[in-house]
Amino acid sequence: MLKMPWYQNTWFIISLLLFALGYVTIVLIIRAKRFIIRQNVLRALVERKTKELMKKTEELEKNDLIKTRLISIISHDIITPLRFLHMACKNLIESNGSMSEALKLETMTEIANTSRELEMLSTNIMNWIKYQNENRQLLREEVRLPDMIQQVFGVLNGMARQKNIVLSNGVPHDFTVRQYAEPLRIILYNLVVNALNFMEKGHITIAARNLRHGVLIEVKDEGFGMSKEQINNILDDQFIVSSTNADGRKGNGLGYLIIKDLLRVTEGNFTIKSARNKGTTIKLFFPNQLVA
Amino acid sequence: MHNRILIADDHSMIRKGIKLLLQTHLGITEVYEAATGSGVMQELREREYSHIILDIILSDCTCLEIIPNIQQLYPELKIMVFSMLNGAVYGEALKQYKIYYYLEKTSKEEDTISFLDEFINHHKPVPNTSSGQTFINPFNQLSPRELEVLHYMLNGYGTKDISSTLNLRMTTVSTLKNRIFDKTMTSNLKELMQLASLYNVN
Repeated sequence: MLKMPWYQNTWFIISLLLFALGYVTIVLIIRAKRFIIRQNVLRALVERKTKELMKKTEELEKNDLIKTRLISIISHDIITPLRFLHMACKNLIESNGSMSEALKLETMTEIANTSRELEMLSTNIMNWIKYQNENRQLLREEVRLPDMIQQVFGVLNGMARQKNIVLSNGVPHDFTVRQYAEPLRIILYNLVVNALNFMEKGHITIAARNLRHGVLIEVKDEGFGMSKEQINNILDDQFIVSSTNADGRKGNGLGYLIIKDLLRVTEGNFTIKSARNKGTTIKLFFPNQLVA
Repeated sequence: MHNRILIADDHSMIRKGIKLLLQTHLGITEVYEAATGSGVMQELREREYSHIILDIILSDCTCLEIIPNIQQLYPELKIMVFSMLNGAVYGEALKQYKIYYYLEKTSKEEDTISFLDEFINHHKPVPNTSSGQTFINPFNQLSPRELEVLHYMLNGYGTKDISSTLNLRMTTVSTLKNRIFDKTMTSNLKELMQLASLYNVN
């Protein structure tokens, strides 16, 4: 029998083939695995980017809605009243006795009230725009809360007295908060204005106390209260719904918009508790700042 | 009956302004005010009025909601609508209610006075409108009902809120909403809002 060299042995050839096959398979498997890993990485990346984009779009859309809303507020609540204010003044000047004293007084009272309202509304619009792009130059400072509240009350006392509402400051006189002063002041101001607009008589009280993890500030009124829907509308980020207040006057929805934006700046949060015809309590909570 | 006029507007400054014009230029002293739709209905119940000047947007409703009621209860009452909103849209829609007196708040003072004079002292059922041209406007085609729904849509009310406010069925509101989108050729609320602010519709 002719002896074949070892490399021509059938078994050897078979095992060689098998080896080659195995090698190719392993290489293919490894490459496939690598592909899958890369694919997963890419997928995660795409997902993250999509989420970011969606968030941005949402923000832009919200800003768009707010802008449209602002246009309507400016045209309906600023320009039109200004027109009539101007017209009323002109008529007062030109009237030459054709106007009764009663009507004169009525008109002048109206002019005084309206110009005041216009100032407050414009200030609020400005405040909202100002804190839209998170201002990083802001510095936290030690704010003496009772002094700040007194200052806010000072601005609104006239309005409160007209409606027989008592503003009371229940914060201990040495209470301080480490906070951005201006945003905090605007938040408190808007909360008190809201309370004033939605009640006829009674007390508005601001209280504050230190909790283990932060500071709690409470604004309590004895007004008409809000329905669950109203509260949900306020908490909802999507929309600004205006609602009717005591005199049948509409809020323009700007107040809570500003409050929510500024709470983002001050890193605080809030809850609303309300009962119809009993009143509303707004609790603001500012967590302790970690010392850097 | 002599002239007794009711002014309904949600801004007190505007009510006072019109009152002033009526007294100083037209010599009318019996002028009363209302801020809300329910206030209007109450005033009309308490006193007999000859004329009413209505703003489109009142604080608790739009005047489109109360006009049919007013017309049914007080067929003699003469109605004028005075608003800052686009006359080409609302003036047209109000004609369906047979209201031909529509004035924009942006009109000049002299024009406002002469219009008020015509409305009160020389009232004709159908005044000869001077502006013959009508501009093409995406909101022209809307019916009063659709304009009501549009108002609440633009102010952020959902279908459910609108149906309870206007006492309509949810399906009716959705149909009206779809018709609004169709007629204005918009596809979503955002587009609708932008278009509305462009044409001064609210």
